[in-house]
Amino acid sequence: MPNENNGQAVVIQLVGRIDSANAAQAEQTIGQQLPGDSTVCVVLDADKLDYISSAGLRMVLRVKKAFPKLKVINVNPDVYEILEMTGFTEMMTVEKAYRVVSVEGCEVIGEGANGKVYRIDGDNVVKTYKNADALGEIQHEREVARLALVLGVPTAISYDVVKVGDSYGSVFELLNAKSFAKILACEPERFDWCVSEYVGMLKKIHGIAVPAGKLPSAKQKVVAKVQRMKDLLPGELGDKLERLAEEIPESDHMIHGDFHTKNIVLAEGEVLVIDMDTLSVGHPIFDLVGMYNAYVGYSEKDPDIVLRFQGYSAETARRFWRDSLAAYLNTENEQIIHEVEAKVRCLSYAGLIDWGVRRQTADEETISLWKSRLTELLPAVDSLDFEAVPAEAADPDELNVEASVDQLQKVIDFVNSHLALVSCPPKAQMQMELAVEEIFVNIAHYAYAPGVGNATVRVEVSGDPVTVTIRFMDRGIPYDPLKKEDPDVKLSAQERKIGGLGIFMTKKIMDDISYEYKDGQNILTLKKQL
Amino acid sequence: MAEQIGRIDFHIHTTVSDGTDTPQEVIGAVRAVGISLFSITDHDAIKAAEIIPPLLDKKDLRFFPGVEFSCKDEAGKYHILGYGYDPQSKEIRAVVDHGHSLRIKKVAARLDFLKTEFGFAFPSQELDRLFALDNPGKPHIGNLMVQYGFAKTKEEAIDRYINKIHFKSEYVRPEEAIGGILAAGGIPILAHPFYGSGNELILGEEMDDRLSRLMGFGLQGLEAFYSGFSDKLRNLALSLAKRHNLYVTAGSDYHGTNKLVRLGDTGLDGTDPYPAELLRFLHNFI
Repeated sequence: MPNENNGQAVVIQLVGRIDSANAAQAEQTIGQQLPGDSTVCVVLDADKLDYISSAGLRMVLRVKKAFPKLKVINVNPDVYEILEMTGFTEMMTVEKAYRVVSVEGCEVIGEGANGKVYRIDGDNVVKTYKNADALGEIQHEREVARLALVLGVPTAISYDVVKVGDSYGSVFELLNAKSFAKILACEPERFDWCVSEYVGMLKKIHGIAVPAGKLPSAKQKVVAKVQRMKDLLPGELGDKLERLAEEIPESDHMIHGDFHTKNIVLAEGEVLVIDMDTLSVGHPIFDLVGMYNAYVGYSEKDPDIVLRFQGYSAETARRFWRDSLAAYLNTENEQIIHEVEAKVRCLSYAGLIDWGVRRQTADEETISLWKSRLTELLPAVDSLDFEAVPAEAADPDELNVEASVDQLQKVIDFVNSHLALVSCPPKAQMQMELAVEEIFVNIAHYAYAPGVGNATVRVEVSGDPVTVTIRFMDRGIPYDPLKKEDPDVKLSAQERKIGGLGIFMTKKIMDDISYEYKDGQNILTLKKQL
Repeated sequence: MAEQIGRIDFHIHTTVSDGTDTPQEVIGAVRAVGISLFSITDHDAIKAAEIIPPLLDKKDLRFFPGVEFSCKDEAGKYHILGYGYDPQSKEIRAVVDHGHSLRIKKVAARLDFLKTEFGFAFPSQELDRLFALDNPGKPHIGNLMVQYGFAKTKEEAIDRYINKIHFKSEYVRPEEAIGGILAAGGIPILAHPFYGSGNELILGEEMDDRLSRLMGFGLQGLEAFYSGFSDKLRNLALSLAKRHNLYVTAGSDYHGTNKLVRLGDTGLDGTDPYPAELLRFLHNFI
């Protein structure tokens, strides 16, 4: 988006109404302002345009044909509706006019490195951005937040973009929310609860497989950092660190990228993750690195830093880090915790050194402290990989996978692994496999079409006589498959309508099947007594 | 198939109505952009249908008669295209004459208004010349006003003076235009379907109503390929044509230097194969 509004683009103002009475004249006026070079980006500024008729649309289309890089900006809602209805928004870049919001005198309810959050009225907050390309950043954050929500991460999504001064902001509904940082600062008795919820959320995020190409790789960024700073390390340690970073196994699982207690909030009893703009995919170590820096790394030399940023003491921060790591690794074995921490710290210091040197954010003394720490740690570390404990392992009865036909075998294997525990008769097992296939393929094809998303499969085996309960959950389009009419199986294959047989068969196979839509999830529960 | 037929443009205006190219000039212009089959569709006028054929000696360029009638009834305004009619037919001439007489009436009313309201008067030989035109209208009056110093530009003349008069003007009714075209052996087509008479935006149910009304009068097709249509509107027109089993045509609405539409710009280039509804229409002429 930069470079387009500078000297290279020709901006032309559209004013008032453009209809058959003046379209020809408007076209002439615009024609005089158009550049000779058809590769130039022409921007039609519709800020003062009240109405456009089809005669005006044709004029815009002609400009588009002559100047393929045409852009129409500041379009008011009425004009935008016309452009959208007629398909013009699909043929050219059309940017809506943003509502102007003033934050003067508004209460600041949050402040981060990239901007501030203001409360603009009783129901809404606006998040402003410091960067030059605020609009690009806002669009990016909206996109990844939407993706995260579809994949099962509870988060807040902005519902509008507004103009704030010379920059832009995104508007969120005001949640009666309290950050974990605030809870830790004001309600120390809830420390253990915070650790448990915080780690539960982290595992949930790390348990989510992201469809290819949707999010950037965390590893790439970290390897680049290491490559920039490795020459600052003595001897061959730099090369070793680079090799270790490159050897970190690839992963398509979600990484939040800025998972500290100010970005986890409790709103109306629900724990939400915010600040989704740093979302990526990769090995869980990349989130742990960010966490270590937030709680320990940044403030190692100056404990006040964590107090200023998180609002609680360096001691609390260190304890929160240690307990979270232990809970995440699902162990109280100090040696394991210590080993993983050493791996995490290697990358933490590498990142801090790169950040401190490149952005000149730290003095010589601090940087040399980080360097000496890293130099001490590296010789004993031979791999940055560790036994990750993904969310599904934390709950052995649940599997979260991408709702895609490719994952079908994984789902069937998962269900079978449960059936194996109760020595299920082969016939019943085969029938249930069939039912699972029908339901999962149905979700894969339709739940998120044409988009993508995840599905959770939960299997419980209980009771006497043994009952198997298989539950499918997805956050796709609400759809009750039981509402589908049973096909007339008496008809011949030619006469029968396609589809509908899958769910019909499932009903026959299982003893009980029920559907509900709850908390944004389709929940289909199948039961069978063995 | 698309390659065999080559470029086409069935919606072109000449000096017979409000275009700036003479019919003779259009022949050259059409050749220059590689069009091999075309039609001229002047507003309420069919003179080009007689001028063009004798001028086409080579086989590389083919032509069939066309016309664009401005119509109106209680439900709205329409531009109805007519193709392949017999130019000698009494029925089509009756529609042209009716349209022409209404046009003359309008010009007279406008001139009267300019004279009484603003005191703009013109010598009688200029007025005679104006009324002798095949298709006099606002642009011609505007040019005259510029010539006599009443306005700086034609656009200013139209915008500031001519458009100030509002009168209930009479139009040819769509059933009359469609009936005339059919009686002359021609094919009636709705021009730029979603744009009404050029300035409206008609979509959804309103468009469906309009279409069934016109089909009731005998309409046979839609101008789905049109220079002013977005991809979405074109696809919408194509699906309407398919649903109602109508012909599809392609036209630019070229007016010469009057409007910036380029000859042959119909949105059809690159479409291969041509839709069946367009091929069916073309088979009437090749």
